Amino acid sequence: MRPGFSPRGDRGGGRGRGGFRGGRGGGAGRGFGDRGERGGFRGGRGGGFQSPGRGGGRGTPRGRGGRGGRGGFGGGRKVLVEPHRHEGVFICRGKEDALVTKNMVMGDSVYGEKRISVEEGETKIEYRAWNPFRSKLAAAILGGVDQIHIKPGAKVMYLGAASGTTVSHVSDIVGPDGLVYAVEFSHRSGRDLLNVAKKRTNIIPIIEDARHPHKYRMLVGMVDVIFADVAQPDQTRIVALNAHNFLKNGGHFVISIKANCIDSTAAPEAVFASEVKKMSSENMKPQEQLTLEPYERDHAVVVGIYRPPPKQKK
Amino acid sequence: MLVLFETAAGYAIFKVLDESKLQEVDSLWKEFETPEKANKVVKLKHFEKFQDTTEALAAATALVEGKIGKSLKKVLKKVVAKEAHEQLAISDAKLGGAIKDKLSLNCVHSPAVAELMRGIRKQMEGLISGLPPKEMSAMALGLAHSLSRYKLKFSPDKVDTMIVQAISLLDDLDKELNNYIMRCREWYGWHFPELGKIVTDNLAYCKAVRKIGDRTNVATSDLSDILPEEIEAEVKLAAEISMGTEVSEEDIGNIMHLCDQVVEITEYRSQLYDYLKNRMMAIAPNLTVMVGELVGARLISHAGSLLNLAKHPSSTVQILGAEKALFRALKTRKDTPKYGLIYHASLVGQTTAKNKGKISRMLAAKAALAIRYDALGEDTNAEMGIENRAKLEARLRHLEEKGIRRISGTGKALAMADKYQHKSDVRVYDPSGDSTIPTTSKKRKFEEVEETTEPVTPVVKAKKVKKEPETEEVETVAETEEPPKKKKKKKDKKAEVAEEPMEQEQEVEEPTEKKKKKKKKKVKEEEDE
Repeated sequence: MRPGFSPRGDRGGGRGRGGFRGGRGGGAGRGFGDRGERGGFRGGRGGGFQSPGRGGGRGTPRGRGGRGGRGGFGGGRKVLVEPHRHEGVFICRGKEDALVTKNMVMGDSVYGEKRISVEEGETKIEYRAWNPFRSKLAAAILGGVDQIHIKPGAKVMYLGAASGTTVSHVSDIVGPDGLVYAVEFSHRSGRDLLNVAKKRTNIIPIIEDARHPHKYRMLVGMVDVIFADVAQPDQTRIVALNAHNFLKNGGHFVISIKANCIDSTAAPEAVFASEVKKMSSENMKPQEQLTLEPYERDHAVVVGIYRPPPKQKK
Repeated sequence: MLVLFETAAGYAIFKVLDESKLQEVDSLWKEFETPEKANKVVKLKHFEKFQDTTEALAAATALVEGKIGKSLKKVLKKVVAKEAHEQLAISDAKLGGAIKDKLSLNCVHSPAVAELMRGIRKQMEGLISGLPPKEMSAMALGLAHSLSRYKLKFSPDKVDTMIVQAISLLDDLDKELNNYIMRCREWYGWHFPELGKIVTDNLAYCKAVRKIGDRTNVATSDLSDILPEEIEAEVKLAAEISMGTEVSEEDIGNIMHLCDQVVEITEYRSQLYDYLKNRMMAIAPNLTVMVGELVGARLISHAGSLLNLAKHPSSTVQILGAEKALFRALKTRKDTPKYGLIYHASLVGQTTAKNKGKISRMLAAKAALAIRYDALGEDTNAEMGIENRAKLEARLRHLEEKGIRRISGTGKALAMADKYQHKSDVRVYDPSGDSTIPTTSKKRKFEEVEETTEPVTPVVKAKKVKKEPETEEVETVAETEEPPKKKKKKKDKKAEVAEEPMEQEQEVEEPTEKKKKKKKKKVKEEEDE
């Protein structure tokens, strides 16, 4: 359909983006223009003095970093935003290409990422940059996963929400019609998650152990997709429990597997294979598997379908 | 069979219409594909809505623990009253056990039940009539937030946003107050300029204007509660000989309104300051004890939140507020500032200028610990802050004592602290004093040149030349003698001054002496010849 925008082509851009890590480290003394924005792009990271509240330090903490963001694209440079193959995700083309999502809360930066404003006639639309080094889902998209199943209007259950950085992007994708049930057990991260959920009303924060889905059954309806990034050795069982309770028939799951976490002595491929086998036994059919190189080491993402509808035999 | 289904909006009790379908667990999902089909399998018997969020929160917490909450008990009692023989299908085995114990109702939990629950959850909107889906999701959102806050032991009086806002408001009020007072003085000054010069305190001025109004009323008005007596007398005097213009009632009325505003704002400002003090003590007691409320509040406001402030290292806390000076110094490779907002803390203010830098660093170090304790610690007492402050004060006293003792130190101590200087001290015996025969003949001079070069060379200390008839040599000698600085340790004067042959030797010595003059302070010339 759109050959130029195939994610496989993006891998070229991905290599260029390998410079992110360097950019983040070596930005010392790089001018203090973008205050407080710890974006993954080019520097802007003077000294060790990052206080995101500095922009609104005196007075209302107007969200972190204020309105500085023109992306790492320099002030006022023209950039082109076009839709990605996956619905709800966009690509921002300029001097450097970036993966972006449409910001549901204008003017707000959740974890200090760069924001890009685009004028469309009369309306202004804001996009937030999505860092593949921090988010496994972004790494999977840039790696070329076939289907993420998270689309506008979908109901997503996010296990392992942490501080809400990727959850905010998922919330952007599903839009105001969709819902994101964000489950996180840690109290520290839970506080940050709660703050993110305050601004975005399509995130339902759940501070509970995902191993006991019956404890939060009162808050959750049936979901279309389960995204799991829990990094636990029994994560397949956790996802299965949640799927049995809340995932609709024919619903999909996207699981991020960290080989080190499951079994640090075995080879990563062996670990991934054993996880896939465990999934199949729980009525979860894996459909594709993808490693997250070059963004993460020994990580894989498995996408599959739960209780597939029986094939109609003619 | 009855089914207990918990939702964010309330408890729902369903009755299973067709129990045979439950036998086929695997195809049960087909029955719930559409709302109509679902309604054929189960029917809503009773829906107990939660009255308010507190009830919902109580129910949710009970559910998490697997206990029976009050509202659940109420619902179940109704059920028991009607159909005690029926089985109740529930999602949580633990809860089932509890229900059985308390209400002697038979509970069931099996894979079939799980499938049933899935189906009901899928068709929740269709089965529970009278509950629009938007309302359900809104209730779920609200309940999730309150439940999460309850879990995180969120307490509203520990929110530091209040501090940030309050301190900003305090600054705004001060600015506004200043503007209004200046305006008031200027405006009223047209009518009664002397009052402005006599009454310096702003609040007293405004109160006085409020009371006086037109200056003709001064004689009759009583200003004893606003101004001290002498000033009141002065005011009364000045009012009679004032050179201000006349103003109408309306004008005075407006000025008085302005004064009202000023007085009100001043009162509110003191109230706000008290509020800020209370909040600071509640939120960050240790920091308050260490640096004071105002400085503590400014630090928190500068960093954005207490948690952000806790993430900064102590060196940053020390210069928070002096960023402009810091980066300017870093860019031009000069000295960085020693203090920022912390300069206004009482501990730093009460030291001498020399020690301010040291104290600021020490205070920042301990204050950073106090901040972290307040932001991330569990209990909220000020013990740690008080201890640290006592330590700091002791150290401060020690610092000042040391400085005092330094001035009246013993000579030995002072001498030992002096800079090291190399003193080479070579003395050679001078035999010129041996012979009493005067050696003034010219012939002798020549011989003696060779003989006496050695004993003469060690003349190191240049002293005043006594009586030299020859001008040249005098000058040259003077030259050689002036630059070398005089030292307390003496050398032989006689050898230098007395003998004439010395003149020539001095000439010989000049260039060598000049070469030797390298040391600035001391004159010791070494024998390098």
